[in-house]
Amino acid sequence: MNALPCFHCGEPVPAGANLHADVGGAVHAVCCIGCRAAAEWIAALGLDDYYRLRDTPASRAPARVDFGLWDKPQLQRMYVREEGDGRAEVCLLVQGLHCAACSWLIERALRDVAGLEDVSINVAARRVRLVWRPAQVALSALLDRLGRLGYDPQPLNAESLNSLQRQETRTALKRLVVAGLGMMQSMMYAVALYVGVFEGMDVATRDFFRWLGVLVSTPVVLYAGAPFFIGAWRELRMRRFGMDTPVALAVALVFVASIVETARRGSYVYFDSASMFVFLLLSARYVEMFTRRRAADVVDALARLQPATAQRLNAAGLIETVGTHELMAGDVAVVEIGATVPADGELLSASCDVDESLLTGESASRRRHAGERLIAGSILRSGPVQMRVTNVGAQTVLSSIVRLVTRGLQQRPRWTRFGDALAARFVAGVLLLAALTVLAWLWIDPARAFPAALAVLVVSCPCAFALAIPTATTRATAVLARCGVLAVKPDAIEKLLDITHVVFDKTGTLTTRQMELVGVETFGGMTETQCLRVAASLEQSNPHPIGMAIRAAASGLGGIAAADNPCSVSGAGVTGDVDGRAYRLGRATFAMSEDQAADDDGVFLANADAAVARFKFRESLRGDARATIDALRSDGLMLKVLSGDDVLQVAAVAQRLGIAAFRARVTPERKLATLQRLRETGAVVAMVGDGVNDAPVLAAADVAIALGDGAQLAQASADIVLAGDRLSALLDARRVARLTMRVMRQNIYWAAAYNFLCIPLAALGWVPPWLAAIGMSTSSLLVVLNSLRIRAPAAASGAAEAGSAAAGTGRAVMEATA
Amino acid sequence: MNIILVLIPLSLVLLAAALWAFFWGVDNAQFDDLETPALIPLSDDRSKPDPPEKPV
Repeated sequence: MNALPCFHCGEPVPAGANLHADVGGAVHAVCCIGCRAAAEWIAALGLDDYYRLRDTPASRAPARVDFGLWDKPQLQRMYVREEGDGRAEVCLLVQGLHCAACSWLIERALRDVAGLEDVSINVAARRVRLVWRPAQVALSALLDRLGRLGYDPQPLNAESLNSLQRQETRTALKRLVVAGLGMMQSMMYAVALYVGVFEGMDVATRDFFRWLGVLVSTPVVLYAGAPFFIGAWRELRMRRFGMDTPVALAVALVFVASIVETARRGSYVYFDSASMFVFLLLSARYVEMFTRRRAADVVDALARLQPATAQRLNAAGLIETVGTHELMAGDVAVVEIGATVPADGELLSASCDVDESLLTGESASRRRHAGERLIAGSILRSGPVQMRVTNVGAQTVLSSIVRLVTRGLQQRPRWTRFGDALAARFVAGVLLLAALTVLAWLWIDPARAFPAALAVLVVSCPCAFALAIPTATTRATAVLARCGVLAVKPDAIEKLLDITHVVFDKTGTLTTRQMELVGVETFGGMTETQCLRVAASLEQSNPHPIGMAIRAAASGLGGIAAADNPCSVSGAGVTGDVDGRAYRLGRATFAMSEDQAADDDGVFLANADAAVARFKFRESLRGDARATIDALRSDGLMLKVLSGDDVLQVAAVAQRLGIAAFRARVTPERKLATLQRLRETGAVVAMVGDGVNDAPVLAAADVAIALGDGAQLAQASADIVLAGDRLSALLDARRVARLTMRVMRQNIYWAAAYNFLCIPLAALGWVPPWLAAIGMSTSSLLVVLNSLRIRAPAAASGAAEAGSAAAGTGRAVMEATA
Repeated sequence: MNIILVLIPLSLVLLAAALWAFFWGVDNAQFDDLETPALIPLSDDRSKPDPPEKPV
């Protein structure tokens, strides 16, 4: 389909949509009424600069939502903090907040509202904080303004206002800067001291500079280095030997020894080394913290799927609106059409259609009958219905998925743990060696014992070990994010290199959710064009993929009026009158009487007597599916397609992509079994999917990859999420992974080679202090610089720029991690 | 070389001042969001039509 991009959201304008927005004196095509309203409202406020400033298209504007619920006191209690002086504060998570231009737009659109006192926006965290006077303006009015701009605001718990996180971030930044400034100062004094050694410096000046070193490095060690000491104390109490203990010990020893040396006018001091050690380790931690923060936002978004309010049938048989948290098992809840199911439960009404796409990734709604299970987070498509609540809050399926993701995020990658363990053992070894050095020199020449031990401590570079892996992985995470690859479980990056088989789901993975019309077969009476016109009339307002495909095909014909008496039957087809004649369009069994409906392939158009035409569709492939498949195959990987769809559809897609191995009509259990059989033969399997009905299958794969534009929940069980629309991001991920592994190995070899060479020399007393300090700094710097060599493949960064959605997400991540 | 005795304490005073200013900035949310404010001045001085929904 070669459609215009929507002026507001950038999605293709469906043919026949015929909607236009008047912005800045020019007329632009838009894809839906929501986007038109958003674009025109933005223009009416004089804010059309937004379209010039932004770097990512907006999200498709949702249909108007009623925010009136948010004015209810029982809800406000949970989400709004009263300031006491008539002001109230709320923190919103705003979906669709992509770039700085968005925040500019929001601020402009809100700031003229009387009663609104303060708007602060954080793009990276997608948070908006509002302070307003409830007496003058209702919260719903403010939310409504955001909604009209095309954003989806969700109030966050009042707790997030006094955010522990914010405090943590600020403290970390302060510590980092104190360490950085202190390090620079103490290095400056150290240079003076080293030069003094060669040029001759009187003892008074030397001691003056040494005391200056004490002065500037004390805050570095005691304030900036505090996390290490606190961590070491915690490890000591729990009797677990981690990374903090040796680091704290080494820093403390070097620092205290240098003070002692200064006081007794000894030969060497190492304040610069102590400060630099603290600074480098803090930088690594700071970057790591931001990476995790960003990932935690994903969880936040998942948790938002549960609605904040629910409707409950009380004892008197009346419907009351309560907070979802007030629902209890056994309650009877009423769900309106279009509303989100608030808790897991059993359906009491006869039947209903629910859209579980958030859980399953399938857009088609499913029919549920009385007694069957409804899942929190799914959307009711027909109703209203009553349901008996069985599981609430933490027991719902949704919550357990959220918990899974959270747990995944808290895991540290295996490589990082390995690096930490390596560094910890190394530091312990060095401490032991330093002790041995002291003992040996006390035996030989007591005067040289202390300087030699100090030299051992300084020249040894636990930094190189401690930084070798985290710098490479954090750099890789950031680079991958820039090409639209989010590593939910960082271990997966490493495993991506070992895979031998790639198994693809079909719908939404290899194909988009759109269909394209490939042929019209007429059964006499009418021409192809006539049939198409009739079909397009019937499908004029149908959002189903088939309807969109028919409208797209008929867009060239022009002048198509909507059918009279249109009626849509869910899952079957549409009926209506065109030019005075009744038509039915849909599956064979729906369009014709049972006895005529022998052939089930395609969509039939029938009048009152007989079928007049058959339309054949095929799924549109993802734009880069072919190239990605070819590249993976030339890498020597075995490819396979597993799908729950019909044989014909799966075969058609597999054939177009040149994949020989495919299986159709596979249930999730069979998929799982197939995967396990593959793994038993020794294959390392990557599974690419997009739905949570794939969740067990994804979990069974060695590497689970989800496409980010599919169901949001698919990301829950995925190790890697490809954000945006690019399947080829998978190739970039493999390239970056290969580079990362190489850099990591180089870093570790370098750290090992350097340390094993220098430590014996220092223990023998052959390394002068200035050389020890230079050696230690250079080895750390080399590791950091080497990690910076990890870059996105050139082609990928270009493609990411083109694929704006991917680039947008990537950029947001970069900003969060930078 | 005695000038060092003046210059170094002076540099320390400046360092302390810089740190104090930075801490003040962090505590007053100056570093919470580093990209949004950069765009605000870009279009401030342009004349634009009055918003039609101008509130009181």
